[in-house]
Amino acid sequence: MNIIIEALGYGWRSRRAWWFTATSRTRARFARTALGGFWLGVSNLLSIAALSLVYGTVFKVQDFSHYVVFLGTGLVVWNAMAAAVSASPLLFEVNAAHIKNTNLHPIFYTLEEWAFQVQTFFQSFIMVLLGLSFFKHDLFLNLLMFSWLPIVNVLLFLYWVPLAICILGARFRDFYQLVPIVLQLGFLLSPILYDKKNLGQFGWTADFNPIYRILSPLRHALLQGEVNISQSMAVLAFNLLGLYLALWLLGRDRKDLPFFV
Amino acid sequence: MPMPRFNRADRLAQVAGLDPDIVLQLQDVWLRIPVRTTETRTLKSALVRSVTGGALRRSAGGAVIEALRGINCTIRHGERVALIGHNGAGKSSFLRLVSGIYHPSSGSFRSGCPVYPMIQKSFVTPPDLSGVRAAKAHYLLLHGNLRGFESFLEEVLDFSGLGDFIQLPVKGYSEGMASRLLFSLLTSGSHDCLALDEGFGAGDARFFERAQQRMKDFISSAGTLILASHSDGLLRQFCTRGLVFSEGKIVFDGDLAAALGYYHEHHH
Repeated sequence: MNIIIEALGYGWRSRRAWWFTATSRTRARFARTALGGFWLGVSNLLSIAALSLVYGTVFKVQDFSHYVVFLGTGLVVWNAMAAAVSASPLLFEVNAAHIKNTNLHPIFYTLEEWAFQVQTFFQSFIMVLLGLSFFKHDLFLNLLMFSWLPIVNVLLFLYWVPLAICILGARFRDFYQLVPIVLQLGFLLSPILYDKKNLGQFGWTADFNPIYRILSPLRHALLQGEVNISQSMAVLAFNLLGLYLALWLLGRDRKDLPFFV
Repeated sequence: MPMPRFNRADRLAQVAGLDPDIVLQLQDVWLRIPVRTTETRTLKSALVRSVTGGALRRSAGGAVIEALRGINCTIRHGERVALIGHNGAGKSSFLRLVSGIYHPSSGSFRSGCPVYPMIQKSFVTPPDLSGVRAAKAHYLLLHGNLRGFESFLEEVLDFSGLGDFIQLPVKGYSEGMASRLLFSLLTSGSHDCLALDEGFGAGDARFFERAQQRMKDFISSAGTLILASHSDGLLRQFCTRGLVFSEGKIVFDGDLAAALGYYHEHHH
């Protein structure tokens, strides 16, 4: 428990530094672009438009407007998860010089990356919701009224899962090669492009799919304007357990980290 | 009677259970570095041993380098300690251990104040970001807020001589420019305890002279100094006590002149 408290304490004390470097990265990303941060939202909306046209036809959806919003809200959250997870296996490797030569707690790099991913997520999320509001006008109202707890769960998930992956990625040098494969499978097996009921007799698999369990409550809150509190609290408990385990792993492997990278 | 001033170093010493006069205390500290590549498992342990200077032992999980072996050492406030030894003797490992970069594999290590390592050769921020942002990130890491940053930045600009280049991404800097900026950042401010590796460069030759005096002032302002170097002149300039390392052990601990004499007699 001490190692977890030490890590969280360091993360809190250095919060201004890692938030600053993440914000600087976000700004630098669009320094020479015409659209700036709008590009994130535009690229998501283009993907949503293309995929909804194709899969709306493939799945023979009856209510296309509903399907666009269904797919769009799921896709923007999935993209954030996929981006965070993709960047994580080599995170410590990328910061190897600092890990070996400075005494910054490694939680700093994970929080900086998390802050960057969160900023990216919100930029594209807001833009996508703006675009999807054309099909469903109460999206922002539902966001403000019902989505707080599901969003907290998404943000927690965006931290602890990449944290666990970057620790494993540091320990096992070929681990990063598995991540794109698992992400692809995760995308196809998760009800993002399709509804859970489309899985038929295999619908129960979605209940054990962590990606779906994190993504679905937020999508449901936005689409239906309601939140299942007990379900969201269970997901929160799952996230907190995951966070605890990931931080414990970090504390345990911290002393070996300069030798892994 | 005035109230005693409470400072962070005293608090750390209190938490560590140390006499407030003691900065670092190591008791039977070992540092075992796992060597996890396939090559070293099957191998060339004698070659690795001769290159590293440390003892290579095989463990059940694979090869391990004993970079530090049974280190017993106490360093007090105000001491200027030289780390002396051949390449691979354990000096850099010791510096990293006392700075908190490495952690002991066994033994007891207690620190009464934060140790500031001068080992890094790159900025904390990615190279896409400007020198100003690198300076700001460095300042935030040290102080936790931006109070006094403007005067800090002016001082860094004045010393490094970068001018408007500080607004440009660091990736566009020459090696000399990057070194000057990094040197300026790292030598701003004073520290309770400084761990310095002499390999820390100061950019091009013209900058070097200015850097010499700055380095002197910077080191002099440190409460406690631990300096690893192969240069007797540099060590004599700043240190009074010498620890001689050999194959991961401290083989001599005493007055600097005696330590240098011991080293030259036994290891040359």
